[in-house]
Amino acid sequence: MLVDLYSKKIFNMSYQFAGSFQEAEDLTQDIFVKLHHTLTKYDFGKNFTAWFLTLAKNHLIDEYRRTKWEKKQRDDFDEHVRTAAADDDPEHGLAEEENRKMLWAGLNVLANDMRMAIILKEIQGKTYEEVAEILGVPVGTVKSRINRGRLQLAKILRNRKERTHDL
Amino acid sequence: MTCDRIEDLLTAYADGELRPEERVAVERHIRACPACAGLLDSLRAADSALARFPEVEPPAALREKLYAIPALRKFRFGLDVLLRPALQPVLAAAAVMLTLFTFYFFSPAKGEINKAVSRQFHQGYSRIEKLYAKAGSLTDSLGGFADNVLVSLKKVNPLGKSDE
Repeated sequence: MLVDLYSKKIFNMSYQFAGSFQEAEDLTQDIFVKLHHTLTKYDFGKNFTAWFLTLAKNHLIDEYRRTKWEKKQRDDFDEHVRTAAADDDPEHGLAEEENRKMLWAGLNVLANDMRMAIILKEIQGKTYEEVAEILGVPVGTVKSRINRGRLQLAKILRNRKERTHDL
Repeated sequence: MTCDRIEDLLTAYADGELRPEERVAVERHIRACPACAGLLDSLRAADSALARFPEVEPPAALREKLYAIPALRKFRFGLDVLLRPALQPVLAAAAVMLTLFTFYFFSPAKGEINKAVSRQFHQGYSRIEKLYAKAGSLTDSLGGFADNVLVSLKKVNPLGKSDE
């Protein structure tokens, strides 16, 4: 069933993009309602996952433009994420968690298209080609967005380290 | 190479995608520039942290809501059919009929209503019978009138000559 296959993926995509657990619940629900409305338009010759993720991406970016999340605070790197991180790899130390915390907040600094590309490629582990198909842009554009986004996030980490050294 | 140029090449360097001469140039710069070396470290740390970013489980209540979406749509579809504008006069008439029937069945004066209805029915029926009888006599008199007209017409000679 579609809910079993895609709810976790869509929820995480929404959560990472919007930064709010409550917002992600509403967005996931909206995306699935939209899916049920547009399922009849799906072309069976196409890759369903890419088609569905494109639908989700369009909804997230439309909502982003409508509500301007960038003006809002993201949730703290809260218990949901911390608990999951600890379960994934308990050996990872405090520094790694601090980095994740900084990156979580840093995602809000990125432009929406750059943030979406980073989420799909770097967090969800899609290939450049898959990201290009979902975003509907050439692979070169995806690479450029991702590289700029990675560099921006790296600068956020470096600045934090420099501030820590200064203290 | 300047720091700006190194920044442009840094992600490709971290991914091992540079040509050998560019890679050597970047490495030479990084050895001499702590800022760019720090940025490379941070880039690697960011890549590693992003790749290991944990997935969260959606709440169970959300899954339940998602499972309910197709049923919700069917229910909405049923309501949509019933609430079509074309059906509204029918629904209004049905509501009026339902109100009247409810009033009749639950009225304490049900017997009187029955009598009144019966009386009205019989009065109406007798009126219809009278009308029918009147209509019959009218038909007869019209028939007689038509016969007279025909007889008169036969007697009239349009050329002024008489058969007699």
